[in-house]
Amino acid sequence: MSTRLRRLLPVVAVMAALSGLFVFGLLRGNPDRDIPSAFLGREVPDFDLPVYERFVAEYGPRMRLAEVRGRPMVINFWASWCGPCYDEAPHLQRAWERYGDEVLFIGIQTQDRDAHAAGRAFIERFGLTFPNLFDGDSRVSIAYGLFGVPETFFVHADGTLQHKFAGPVTEAVLSEQIGALRR
Amino acid sequence: MLSLGTLGTAALTLALALAVYAVVAGAIGAIRRDARLQTSARLTALAVFLAATTAVIVMQAALLTDDFSVKYVAEHSRIESPIWVKVVTMWAALEGSVLLWAWLLTAYGAVLAVTAPNTVLRSWSLVVMQVVTIFFLSVVTFAANPFIVLANPPLDGPGANPLLQNHWMMAVHPVLMYLGYVGLTVPFAFAIAALITRRPGTEWMRLTRRWTLFGWGFLTVGIISGGWWSYEVLGWGGYWAWDPVENVSLMPWLTATAFLHSIQVQERRRMLKAWNLLLIVLTFALTLLGTFLIRSGVISSVHAFGDGPVGPFFLAFFIIVTLVSLSLVVWRWDQVRDRADLDAVVSREGAFIGVNVLFLAMTFAVLLGTVFPLFVEATTGSRVTVGAPFFDAITLPVWMLVLLLMGVGPLLPWRRAETQTLRSNLTWMTGALLLALVLGFVFGVRKVYPLITIGLAGWNLASAGLLLAGAIVPRARITGRSLGQVFTQYAFEQKRRFGSMVVHLGVVVIALGIAASGGYRVDQQIRLPYGERVAFQGYELQALRPFSERVAGRNSVGVEVAVFQGNREITVLTPRINRFGTSQMTVPTPSVRYTASHDLYLALAGAVDPQQDFVIIRAVQSPFVTWIWIGGVIMALGTIYAMSPGDRPLRRSVSAEAPAGAET
Repeated sequence: MSTRLRRLLPVVAVMAALSGLFVFGLLRGNPDRDIPSAFLGREVPDFDLPVYERFVAEYGPRMRLAEVRGRPMVINFWASWCGPCYDEAPHLQRAWERYGDEVLFIGIQTQDRDAHAAGRAFIERFGLTFPNLFDGDSRVSIAYGLFGVPETFFVHADGTLQHKFAGPVTEAVLSEQIGALRR
Repeated sequence: MLSLGTLGTAALTLALALAVYAVVAGAIGAIRRDARLQTSARLTALAVFLAATTAVIVMQAALLTDDFSVKYVAEHSRIESPIWVKVVTMWAALEGSVLLWAWLLTAYGAVLAVTAPNTVLRSWSLVVMQVVTIFFLSVVTFAANPFIVLANPPLDGPGANPLLQNHWMMAVHPVLMYLGYVGLTVPFAFAIAALITRRPGTEWMRLTRRWTLFGWGFLTVGIISGGWWSYEVLGWGGYWAWDPVENVSLMPWLTATAFLHSIQVQERRRMLKAWNLLLIVLTFALTLLGTFLIRSGVISSVHAFGDGPVGPFFLAFFIIVTLVSLSLVVWRWDQVRDRADLDAVVSREGAFIGVNVLFLAMTFAVLLGTVFPLFVEATTGSRVTVGAPFFDAITLPVWMLVLLLMGVGPLLPWRRAETQTLRSNLTWMTGALLLALVLGFVFGVRKVYPLITIGLAGWNLASAGLLLAGAIVPRARITGRSLGQVFTQYAFEQKRRFGSMVVHLGVVVIALGIAASGGYRVDQQIRLPYGERVAFQGYELQALRPFSERVAGRNSVGVEVAVFQGNREITVLTPRINRFGTSQMTVPTPSVRYTASHDLYLALAGAVDPQQDFVIIRAVQSPFVTWIWIGGVIMALGTIYAMSPGDRPLRRSVSAEAPAGAET
């Protein structure tokens, strides 16, 4: 038995080494995701985008970031084809109803060419009352370095980025980040 | 109303439960030699297949009816996509791919349950098949369930990965790969059954010879079709980049090729029992390892087609499979030990063992290069990549040795070669090698590897000629029939041998294609002002006009480029940039003129701007690329021929006659 085992020892050793390496790889996670935003602590890029019809009366036909600055902002990027965006939309609306007096929420539909009708249906479905804009050619998503949708940017009143959250936001994330913004 | 998502999960769960029953009933039936339980397990394999088929039908229904309450459809499909895209979306992302894999596995399990001859091995091999099925069904049910029902279904989805939508080959390539991977599960299952039942003789490999060829053939065609897809879609004019995703498909192919050769040594000489068992275990384990590596995000690949939480599952199964198989080999050591010894190195078995060593060395090198970045990161924390130069430098010499052995091996008799006949054969082959070298040199080939490859092609052609002559000429002389008649009879009766000759011919053709296109590729960026003719490699290219095209789910912009040879316009190529659905990702799509001697390959290298009076094109001319695809077809045909029924193996060694034929 011992000679048999000795013969297999190198194989087992190689296997163990490989497995150890792979476990390391798994635990390390995927470094290509969750890249911290390059704008952390710096000013986020300006944009000038058309506003969806139902918000025009209150916010005008276009919105420029530079013009609405002055209070903390939550900028949320979404798309009509994005499943997780449907999950987070009710949370965003509820947070807006709660903090809307102090914090401006901006929804930006992006990576969603020619999808005005779908965007309108999305907004109506969740009864969103914070302004939503249409980033038709996705330039803003590129400027913000989006990995995917949804992503949410928590921005200070002076326009500097406090935190970027990738994936669907939860109530906990919203209250924590907004709490930090209001401090 | 019952939703499709719930129905799909129910079908998967049912299949899983049935597979568990099939394992338990099959194992108990085999241990107690209870025929009724064994039959019950076999019939259950059919039921598993039906349940899995239901899940596949449900998935197709969800995709075709745009049911976005099903998570997989919401994440990967889109209303405006054409129907064929919706159908193949099932394997365009992780969850669906695993579903396809699991389904093919249940199909093979069912076919095996019906067709496998009633031997002691059957029950246990079916048990192993179902154990593997359980693994894949568990992954698709628990870790990567495509049927999860969304509480908030979106109105439309993003559509399948643009790279996959861009070419019909992507509908075919993954299926070919999975047919190959799953096909190689069958000999693995029989190998384990052979170990369990203490019958590590040749029975298990005789029973699975066709399955092995089937799986290997699909893997071969799958890999080559992947290369062709890369060539047709990715726009860099190449077909193989030593990317991890390619490497992990190559590794099981290398070990399966080694297996294909070394089982013949066991069949003839009763040697290498343990080696063959370990090889097929390694092959199967490498398919799992490959899936783990590219699906877990552990190794970053330029085309990581989506990852998910399946990594730990595949790693765990890989470790279990390896440990259990090795333990079985240790446990059955007395049965698997070889009693015969190699008589002489210069013999057929010597050549087979040599080629095994070469293939294993390459597997090891490819594995090393693929996991090396992870090793560096684990030890030093920095991130590196291992590129094509490493793999080329290590594998090219080995490939040359493979080509060298491929010519000698089939001519060598079993046990021991006679020096004199061997010498005469080698003289002919060396003559052909030198002739090919001179021809190559005369036609301007100066680079080392292409030149060696051409020489070895001559070497192999001479070897094939000697082989055929040795088989046919003596027989024609004895029977008095014409050479043509004897050849036809030989090809018809010796399907296995003749098929393998055809496969080897395909390898030579591919080697020449790779040598020429790899060594003598011309790759240029060219500025084409509209209306002007610009020279490129004996052609003149003239950008005619930009165009845009809108079809269901796809927008394209491109340029019509007229190609002139002399003063004759021979064709108009249309390199373009495609965009799918809502995706921002642009897919530069080349346009290729295929000819036997070289390809003219144009891809857009810059934007098509209507304001601009020129366009930037990447023009690639690669000689003999087409022969890689043709060689692939030859290999496939040879494999099919070798598998086809009606082979009458001669007890007498044909190759031993080769010298007699060669000298006449």
